[in-house]
Amino acid sequence: MTRPDGVPAQGPVVSPRVHGVIALVEENCTSCMLCARECPDWCLYIESHTETVPATTPGGRDRSTHVLDRFAIDFSLCMYCGICIEVCPFDALHWSPESDYSEGSLLDLTHERTRLSGWRATPAADGPSDVREPPDPVSGS
Amino acid sequence: MTRESLDLPSPTFGLPVRPAPSPTRVEWRSQDRTFVLSVVNFGLACCSVEFLAAVQGRAEAMAAGTIDARARHAGVVTDDGPRTSIEVLVISGTCTDALAPAVKVLYDQMPEPKRVVSFGACSNTGGPYWDSYSVTKGIDQMIPVDVYVPGCPPRPEALLGALGELMRDHDDQRGSVTP
Repeated sequence: MTRPDGVPAQGPVVSPRVHGVIALVEENCTSCMLCARECPDWCLYIESHTETVPATTPGGRDRSTHVLDRFAIDFSLCMYCGICIEVCPFDALHWSPESDYSEGSLLDLTHERTRLSGWRATPAADGPSDVREPPDPVSGS
Repeated sequence: MTRESLDLPSPTFGLPVRPAPSPTRVEWRSQDRTFVLSVVNFGLACCSVEFLAAVQGRAEAMAAGTIDARARHAGVVTDDGPRTSIEVLVISGTCTDALAPAVKVLYDQMPEPKRVVSFGACSNTGGPYWDSYSVTKGIDQMIPVDVYVPGCPPRPEALLGALGELMRDHDDQRGSVTP
């Protein structure tokens, strides 16, 4: 498709696996901190607290569960190596090919959990055969 | 074996006198006027390769997909509407403390109106070298930065997107000054 002035209307075709931005599947995150500890740049911020789930059966024990308070990636520091994605045992992170998110302020390059979750929607739908669907949220636990 | 016998270049200090870098001309259409961006790339490391990919390869095709305007090479200047020229300095790559004065000098020598694009993690914050003894932790310690482009390196299209961001900001500011 070409525009009247001869400029193609389509942008470049990029692989959906391109290291554009990191998306977060919040439901899958267990606050295990593996990604934050493996990050060579220390650009991941995770805060969580523990909540007690009361026993559901008589005589049972209460359980503890981690609740995510904050998950942020500082993309002004990130070196896009993908180690956090590789190391996540629960597929809570995946690549998104989106690359156009420059900002006028350095602070805005730290994407908090809502913005990171927003990148889930952006993997290319009609790319080559190496498209990887974002993983389904892990049920239960 | 001495250093001389290897015929290695001797390190030099201070700023050597070099010819001014030749800018890439990008034409930018706003609603009522045409801006001609003279984009100077100060390539300090690997990110500058992405800059070259953005401005040399298929810049027009990439621009069409990423920014809502036309980006064109030098020589292709249309006749309609008044034109405003803007100098854009793109710092792409790792800026070391030794090189920081050169960046400052280059910025100071640019004519107004001028804008600065920080291209890549290293020039944004120091990137992977944020705890290095010799790397400047972001070029905004020396010069004002208008747009920060994330990436290590950023994709070529991200540069054109950043130019779009730059011009949108410019339009907004202009709108507030002249109603």
